[in-house]
Amino acid sequence: MRHSFIDRYASLDSPLHVLEARSKLLAFTALIVGVLCIPAERGSLFFIYFFAAAILMGVSQIPLTYIVGRTFLILPFIVLAGLAAPWKGGYLGLGILFIRAVLCLFLLVLLTNTTRFVELLRGLRRLGCPQILVMNLGFLYRYLFVLTEEAMRMKQARDCRRVGRARFREELKILSSMIGTLLIRSFERAERMHSAMLSRAYAGDFPVVSPRKFSLRDAAFLAGVALFITLSFWIR
Amino acid sequence: MTDYAVRITRLNYTYPDGTKALEGIDLDVRSGEQVAIVGPSGAGKSTLLLHLNGILPGSAAVRIKGQSMDSADLRQIRKQVGLLFQDPNDQLFCPTVFEDVAFGPLNLGVPAAEIPRRVEKALLDSGLDYAIRSRSSHHLSLGERRRVSLAAVLVMEPEILGMDEPTSNLDPRNRRHLIEVVSGLKATLIIATHDLELVLDVCPRTVLMDHGKIWADGETRAMLADARLMDLHGLEVPLSLKSGTRP
Repeated sequence: MRHSFIDRYASLDSPLHVLEARSKLLAFTALIVGVLCIPAERGSLFFIYFFAAAILMGVSQIPLTYIVGRTFLILPFIVLAGLAAPWKGGYLGLGILFIRAVLCLFLLVLLTNTTRFVELLRGLRRLGCPQILVMNLGFLYRYLFVLTEEAMRMKQARDCRRVGRARFREELKILSSMIGTLLIRSFERAERMHSAMLSRAYAGDFPVVSPRKFSLRDAAFLAGVALFITLSFWIR
Repeated sequence: MTDYAVRITRLNYTYPDGTKALEGIDLDVRSGEQVAIVGPSGAGKSTLLLHLNGILPGSAAVRIKGQSMDSADLRQIRKQVGLLFQDPNDQLFCPTVFEDVAFGPLNLGVPAAEIPRRVEKALLDSGLDYAIRSRSSHHLSLGERRRVSLAAVLVMEPEILGMDEPTSNLDPRNRRHLIEVVSGLKATLIIATHDLELVLDVCPRTVLMDHGKIWADGETRAMLADARLMDLHGLEVPLSLKSGTRP
């Protein structure tokens, strides 16, 4: 079975890719916070941030179609969640929400596709993110595909034993029992995994192997991003 | 005095839901021996393996290299006893192969500088290329995953190696490859399996389990050729013994 990966282009070798995970985490977080802080009455700032994102995209060598495709795949969820929020803002509020969401997603897709997920996890860990959280993200990344496959097989098995369409209520019933089964299976898998971890002398600490070093170009990149954000809010 | 790797005396185990899994198991395995545990599904083979390194309690009955499980340092026991699980997806939980194989030695406090060398050796010993280290486990084929799992166990340099169905679901080429790797190992082997041809190839001694008890313990060929015994416990005489073509 084929999967699409969240870090599909992460093993390229562009100037953005060779940066260390921590500097990228910090820089992209700062840019996203910057986007969120742009006041509604200064619409021109959005263009400047779009421009910055475009430069980063160009540098990253990731196909534009991929970035845009990914963004518009996730976008509906965010816009849906935010529909009620800008009630007072009317159409303008909704428009700004939309622009903010697109910008943030561009940046996130860029971050996850210029940094291998493992490196991201290491970066988070070294920035002081709690071990247990990072570990669980790692498991999520590892087992998402196993779970997806399990779900796909269950769906195939269901389709094999069903002729035509079931009524909506029955459909829901089947779906809920599938979700339940999946939950129980993952629970059992978690227990087996824990046994496997204990068997390899796990004692509560997840070991980390030596990661990429923080270098001068990371510092330069961070400084550049900081300067950009400061200037963007300073100059009118 | 004989050098026993594993001594199990009157081991009982009941699962929390009340299912009796093991009843009065007695088993001695000498250092360097290769022992197969055969028996139908649900016989208690996997449960027995999980007792070898103290994952399941009730372990006062189990002694590893003369050390009783409840008195010894469990970490020390787990360094000595490696377990290969049936589903590689349970065993490979790290984002990359390298981290998975390095997991055990790092937990045992092996110096970071020594890790790459140890990982490389384990991967080679398992019949893999060192280049596989940066791949993600979910990109690998089942045969490769099984071998990475084996590397993740071998890297801890265990003296005793317990394997749960090492050849299940493998295609003939991968199965053959794995058998070659396994038969080249120096460790004491305890293999729980349905693959009786594997047993004939690798293990001179076989233990037959059914319903949580040991029914027979002896020389592999004689036992597997005993049609009545095999039939009684839901197994069958391997083809190669039936036709008598095997030298």
